[in-house]
Amino acid sequence: MKISEDMVKGIILEVLQQMKPSSPGPDRPTQAAPLQLREIGPAVVGKDKNEVVIGIPPAFGNTMTQTIIHIPHQEVLREVLAGIEEEGLKARIVRVNKTADVGFIGHEAAKLSGSGIGIGIISRGTSVIHQRDLAPLQNLELFSQSPLVELSTFRAMGKNAAKYAKGENPTPVPVRNDPMARPKYQGLAALLHNKETLLVNRDQPTVELAMA
Amino acid sequence: MAPSTQSNMSPDAIADMVKQVLSNMAQGQSAPAAASTEAAPSAPASGHLDAARDYPLASKRPDLVQSASGLQLNDITLEKVIAGEIEFKDIKIRPETLEYQAQIAESAGRPHLAANMRRAAEMTRIPDERVLEIYNSLRPYRCSKQELLEIATELESQYQAKICAALVREAADVYEKRGRLKQP
Amino acid sequence: MAKRQKRFEVLGERAVNQDGFIKEWMEVGLIAMDSPQDPRPSIRIENGKVMEMDGRERAEFDMIDDWIAAHTIVTDVAEEVMAMDSLTIARMLVDINVPREEIVRLSVGMTPAKYVDVLKQLNVVELMMAMQKLRSRRAPANQAHVTNVKDSAPLLAADAAEATLRGFAEIETTVGVGRYAPMNALCLLIGGQTGRPGVLAQCAVEEALELTMGMRGLTHYAETVSVYGTEQVFVDGDDTPWSKAFLASAYASRGLKMRYTSGTGSEVQMGYAEGKSMLYLEIRCIMVTKGAGVQGLQNGSISCIGVPGAVPAGIRAVLAENVATVLNDLEVASGNDQTFTHSPIRNTARMLMQFLPGTDFIFSGYSASPNYDNMFAGSTHDVDDYDDMLVLQRDLQADMALKPVSEEEVIAVRNKAVRALQAVFEELRLPAITEAEIEAATYAHGSKEMPDRNVPEDLRAIDEMMSRGVTGLDVVQALAKRGFRDVAESVLNMLKGKVSGDYLHTSAIFDDQFNVISAVNDPNNYTGPGTGYRLEGERWEMLKDIPSAISPEDV
Repeated sequence: MKISEDMVKGIILEVLQQMKPSSPGPDRPTQAAPLQLREIGPAVVGKDKNEVVIGIPPAFGNTMTQTIIHIPHQEVLREVLAGIEEEGLKARIVRVNKTADVGFIGHEAAKLSGSGIGIGIISRGTSVIHQRDLAPLQNLELFSQSPLVELSTFRAMGKNAAKYAKGENPTPVPVRNDPMARPKYQGLAALLHNKETLLVNRDQPTVELAMA
Repeated sequence: MAPSTQSNMSPDAIADMVKQVLSNMAQGQSAPAAASTEAAPSAPASGHLDAARDYPLASKRPDLVQSASGLQLNDITLEKVIAGEIEFKDIKIRPETLEYQAQIAESAGRPHLAANMRRAAEMTRIPDERVLEIYNSLRPYRCSKQELLEIATELESQYQAKICAALVREAADVYEKRGRLKQP
Repeated sequence: MAKRQKRFEVLGERAVNQDGFIKEWMEVGLIAMDSPQDPRPSIRIENGKVMEMDGRERAEFDMIDDWIAAHTIVTDVAEEVMAMDSLTIARMLVDINVPREEIVRLSVGMTPAKYVDVLKQLNVVELMMAMQKLRSRRAPANQAHVTNVKDSAPLLAADAAEATLRGFAEIETTVGVGRYAPMNALCLLIGGQTGRPGVLAQCAVEEALELTMGMRGLTHYAETVSVYGTEQVFVDGDDTPWSKAFLASAYASRGLKMRYTSGTGSEVQMGYAEGKSMLYLEIRCIMVTKGAGVQGLQNGSISCIGVPGAVPAGIRAVLAENVATVLNDLEVASGNDQTFTHSPIRNTARMLMQFLPGTDFIFSGYSASPNYDNMFAGSTHDVDDYDDMLVLQRDLQADMALKPVSEEEVIAVRNKAVRALQAVFEELRLPAITEAEIEAATYAHGSKEMPDRNVPEDLRAIDEMMSRGVTGLDVVQALAKRGFRDVAESVLNMLKGKVSGDYLHTSAIFDDQFNVISAVNDPNNYTGPGTGYRLEGERWEMLKDIPSAISPEDV
């Protein structure tokens, strides 16, 4: 893939378009629909030991609607939730407004989780399984190369998170590595992350979401 | 990334967009500045050891090198380790050695490095666990100002760590002014 | 286009055209160096305090300004050097008649914007000249990455041994799965000393865990202690200049060498570059490092190399940041450790910038595994490039700190390293290393040839090992007990290095007799032709002698 001037412009245009809620965009076939997520109040620490909390940044499913390899955010959440439910556990989704850093988002989710296990997912797909007792930038499992995080990875991530929550010691989701991801994607990832951080507000609390 | 079909967007709109991006990015990034308390290390030459004459200590001044428990380098042998006569605490650096190394750094024209070694000399007295805890306390949003000031007091009174205490007090002031203390 | 021109079709298929390039977007800081948005150099000092710096009043200083003003800038010389013309200073950097000491004396009085103003005057050849003259240690060295995608312990030990045999003075691992860290560190500790006594080893993971492993004697130094050039990115990295300085002293207090890591592009990559150029922000990182009294820095963009690599003059800026580091009298581990291009031509050109002048560590992570196993997401060069590197040294009579080795000796040290590891695993009650694993690791190209290990079992055993408080001394005992006396002796000698603290000094490494070599006892003495480090004598004889060269007697 080549990051051309047109693509940069495209991204700028996309940001512009998405920052104006009224602007029409149905003529963009590959553009995923924004997520139907409703805020239902401030996020609280759960008491249910059978839950995993998923944390997402402000732009997720909002001004950004798909990962760096074009997986719609709706499908991302669907797969993670399915993975958790397969193990018989429940999930809650929270929006962390104060940071766009995947480690901190995952840690915030873990701290809110009744089981102490949380998942952080940022818009381009970089993800983490986190535990309450770890330092924010430690992790149980880290999916650091967003171009390698696929649909099936999200389900496996949900499943493993649920297993940690049940006190099991699962085999980590197989680690993947592509040395050529950087030359292909890093410039683009930088652009996307600048877009991601636009909505961050240090003073705004984390809120609980419901799928509409 | 999906190819854009919004190609009728004008250059002016792009320019506006960029401005908007910028103004958003600039928000929340100006806050009152901090006053610093420490001066940068300046002139060298308080020490006595000399880089050319005494370095490396292990070969040129083994008489000065002892471990934290008082062993000389020659006392630390494989035989003694096998025999279980050496414990991990016997192979730790002691504050005097770090002071000597600080003097060598100064004589080699590196006052900044010497200052770090002197902080380190103080920290040899602090247990591993507590070092890690204090480090974590100094990370952003972990402590209130009062908590940081209490750590500074502890550093001074329990570990005679005056330079470290000054560093923590300075951090407390800067974090307060930059809004990086624990949020209520 | 209706009809393609065939040459353009061919060009379109070339590797370089798979790379991502972006045009400058200076408003968000997507610009390498010399942005019109960078501040102009200035300073005002009152009563020995910096009251204004680069156009910003003290009252408006952010955390990084505050740190630099209080801890880095030596006010005694600041007014002198800030009054000098930047072009004059730039010329001093390349003038063989101006000694290194004079430049270093002045550099501690410069502000970040002044550094940029000086460095932007130099083209890449002049920057290389400055590097040759200004780096701290006389003899160049190298660092290798030792990792694999399976976190396979036997393979890590074998690769560590081969890497150190080949001449790397420092080796670095990281993890696929975070909780593997202590086991990976153990593999490098044992494998590294098996290949060449005196090599330093580290394990790059989260800060607090990394320090814990160092305190226990499982590593010798630390490097991935990241600093950033804007306050918001620093905080997103979960630190401040104060917490990082405390951490730096914590390492020294346990007798452990450490350097910071930073690099152009990280701030814009993390979304908060405040519209400044990558080089300007990187200079701030270098000055944060200097102020903390840390002996050195890994930079050269490092994991963000795709960002400067995508904009104009980005690779020049990367060399300029290396030069700014040595200008601050710091050790530099100069990058060349992350893939940034599909093009072998670009790749080599980028590496020559550090190889030709020589740096403290030309590569801060040559991949000692095939790149598919490189868990730093790939390096510029890997095991398959070893012979090219040996020939480059021979062609140019320039030292990359690698040496020719025979297949027999590589097989021997790989095997020995895994056997030593097997013994230690047994003594420390870690899951067994099988004979099949030893055989596979000895002869493997990469982890594709390695059998899978039982990951949950490994992780459980690692947690248990850490809670039991296993230290480097237990490793010494285990090795000695099982007949690996020479390796045991080396691991112990490295622990003794922490007692004397000699390797806490700038640019320190050990030779194979555990003698420290640093900027203190091997200072760079380059003052023009006939001075400084020269590849000659015995070492040149060794590097000339590549196995594939035909001798006259043989034909």
